[in-house]
Amino acid sequence: MDLAILRVASFIIVVHMSSILAEGATLFSELSNSLTVSATGADNTSPNGTKAGADELFVTWALSSAAQVDDSSYKTVELKLCFGVPSQIDRPWRKTNNVLSKDKTCGFNIGSPQPYNRAGNTINWLVRKEIPFAHYFVRAYVLDSAGEKVAYGQSSNAQRTSNLFRIEAISGRHASIDIAAAVFSAFSVISLLGFFFYEKTSTRGRKA
Amino acid sequence: MGVANKNAKAMTPQQQMEFAVTLKREPSMSSSCNSTPLHPRSSQDADLGDDDGTPVGATLDVYMGDADPFPLPVDSEHKARKMKLFSFAPPHMLAFHLSWFSFFATFVSSFAPAPLLPVIRDNLDLTGRDIGNAGTASVAGSIASRLVIGALCDLVGPRYACAFLLLLTAPAVFTLASVSTATGFIVSRFLIGLSLGSFVTCQFWMSSMFSAEVVGTVNGTTAGWANLGGGASLLIMPLVYHLIEGPMGFDRFVAWRIAFVVPGFIQVLSALLVLVLGQDLPDGNYQELKVKGEQNTDTAWKVIFYAVINPKTWVFALSYGYCFGVELTVDNILTSYFFDRFDLPLHTAGVVASTFGLANIVTRPFGGYLSDWMAQNLGMRGRLWALWSVQTAGGMACIFLGRIGHLAGTIVVMIVFSCFAEMAAGATFGVIPFISRRSLGVISGIVGAGGILGAVLTQLIFFTSSAYSTETGISLMGIMIICCTFPIIGVYFPQWGGMLRPASTSPSATEEAYYLREWSQEEQRQGMHLASLKFAENSRGERGKRVAPQPVLNPMSSSATLALGAGVQYKMA
Repeated sequence: MDLAILRVASFIIVVHMSSILAEGATLFSELSNSLTVSATGADNTSPNGTKAGADELFVTWALSSAAQVDDSSYKTVELKLCFGVPSQIDRPWRKTNNVLSKDKTCGFNIGSPQPYNRAGNTINWLVRKEIPFAHYFVRAYVLDSAGEKVAYGQSSNAQRTSNLFRIEAISGRHASIDIAAAVFSAFSVISLLGFFFYEKTSTRGRKA
Repeated sequence: MGVANKNAKAMTPQQQMEFAVTLKREPSMSSSCNSTPLHPRSSQDADLGDDDGTPVGATLDVYMGDADPFPLPVDSEHKARKMKLFSFAPPHMLAFHLSWFSFFATFVSSFAPAPLLPVIRDNLDLTGRDIGNAGTASVAGSIASRLVIGALCDLVGPRYACAFLLLLTAPAVFTLASVSTATGFIVSRFLIGLSLGSFVTCQFWMSSMFSAEVVGTVNGTTAGWANLGGGASLLIMPLVYHLIEGPMGFDRFVAWRIAFVVPGFIQVLSALLVLVLGQDLPDGNYQELKVKGEQNTDTAWKVIFYAVINPKTWVFALSYGYCFGVELTVDNILTSYFFDRFDLPLHTAGVVASTFGLANIVTRPFGGYLSDWMAQNLGMRGRLWALWSVQTAGGMACIFLGRIGHLAGTIVVMIVFSCFAEMAAGATFGVIPFISRRSLGVISGIVGAGGILGAVLTQLIFFTSSAYSTETGISLMGIMIICCTFPIIGVYFPQWGGMLRPASTSPSATEEAYYLREWSQEEQRQGMHLASLKFAENSRGERGKRVAPQPVLNPMSSSATLALGAGVQYKMA
């Protein structure tokens, strides 16, 4: 784990030094963690328990004061809703991969890409109904003018295990669907019994 | 009779009677006789005088003219002797199409959740383990249902058994729309999987409608075509889902629930068609025949007893587990094998792996056809040799499959393996109808259940733990196939022989003796054994072309039996 942190840190240093010549990264570990991102619910409450389809998420992001980076290449910011580790366990279709093109951690876009500003950025986002139940965090990817990712920031810790929030999804069930299912099921059972008794009485009648 | 005969041979009065009967029905038969490319025997049905040792069967009742002429040529049980694929004529071909379609509908329902899993797993918050368990549950349920349905077929007939199964599992398909937890999902898939027991009703119905000459081909064709239901649902369900989610504008998590109405409807519709249009036997339904006194009422325990004590049942249950069961296991692991070992993109891996199952459309019917074709000249011994050699060849192909390291070779060997394994499955059900007449349903159920059990066990032993790599698992599976096919060598019918031993020359080694040993003296006094007797006589063709001794008749049998016995003559080869 320590070794991994060392490796990531050295990558970031290399990126700093060559920031003027920086090109789009293909590995997540090449991105510099230069933004601070936070997500809250309405009225600055905890975003835990946000309801899909009903509640809004308030995301703010700004350039991190701790990161000494040259942000001249930063052009747009994409916000994404990403799965925390508890929601990735035993779910290989949400697996994190260092190769950005294969990474499946961040499944949903929060709003559309916005222009980059150093501070004062907020967005209110109505959580869509298609968002499933999971533990999430918000990540902001910074893109350069060519549309390649160059930096990021996220609301959870680096291991994506804490500072997560839960979104309550819609169940997808409706009373009308349940009733229809019950009616069709009843029809199928009753038609079986109906046929059986009909044939029994008609052969009995023939015998009589 | 004064019939004109282009093959002017001296015929006994019996044969002349039958020939007259055949000619009388000729106008409606003419097209069916000569245009069935799938039938292994010669299309000259008027050739009653040929020396193939097949009895023409006593057709006293047909001669008396009280039965309606059938559109296909039939034997003394009125089972069709030929298959006409694109006909829907009742009762035989209509039963054929109803049967494969109802089995197909259950495959569609059982595999319908698979293509929608990406949506379902988000809605229900499923883990990888839940999904694996649900997949196992959906086939495991069919083990139990195949055993039960076998007994039900013997008791109430295939029509009601099939409708019973489909209509009582349709609620599980509809209520999948109301599931909200992982447990609910697993239970639903288990209940839907029970419907796969319709395999037994399908094979039983076909064995009741079609005679020994084509039973292998018909069984193989219905099962092979129904297997496509899994592939069909991969095509249908995403289309339905996108229609509901897109143009109709429902949310994702609502749309998949509504989509399950489609497989449910198909299942209910096919069951109702079976009830309305189908009939159990060529002569009518079990209920009507019981009223007329032509069908006996059997008891469940007796039927199960005679299936269980027959060792052949268990030999074939084991071997079917290692042709059909292996096919199911390979369906499950093949996509990942191509993806992981050869780095094919996932979609391509899926398409390549799907050809394994899709080959069923021709390979399984061909296996049944091969069984029937071998039976023409070599009888039951030919059927057993066909089954054993095809399945063993499949086992050898499987051993190779695990050892080949390059993609092109793997694909070729995979195709070869699929052909052999699926042909073996088809050939198995060319032999099953002859093991017992009384307990055909239960035996079909036990063998069918053995198939699924083989799949579950093979998956557990070779492909679940990380002790073996997938390719080692495949090779070991090949060795297991060969071992589990070995007992077929020991299968022996006294009247027909086995693979290594010829038929017994004792005069009591007859088809009648073999099938009547399932009926006690008391039952025979009540005349419950007459259907078995007719079947015994019609199965004489399983001797192949050798000389057959006259049957020794039970002196206590009813007069009807004696009349049948006296009426039967067959040519010496």
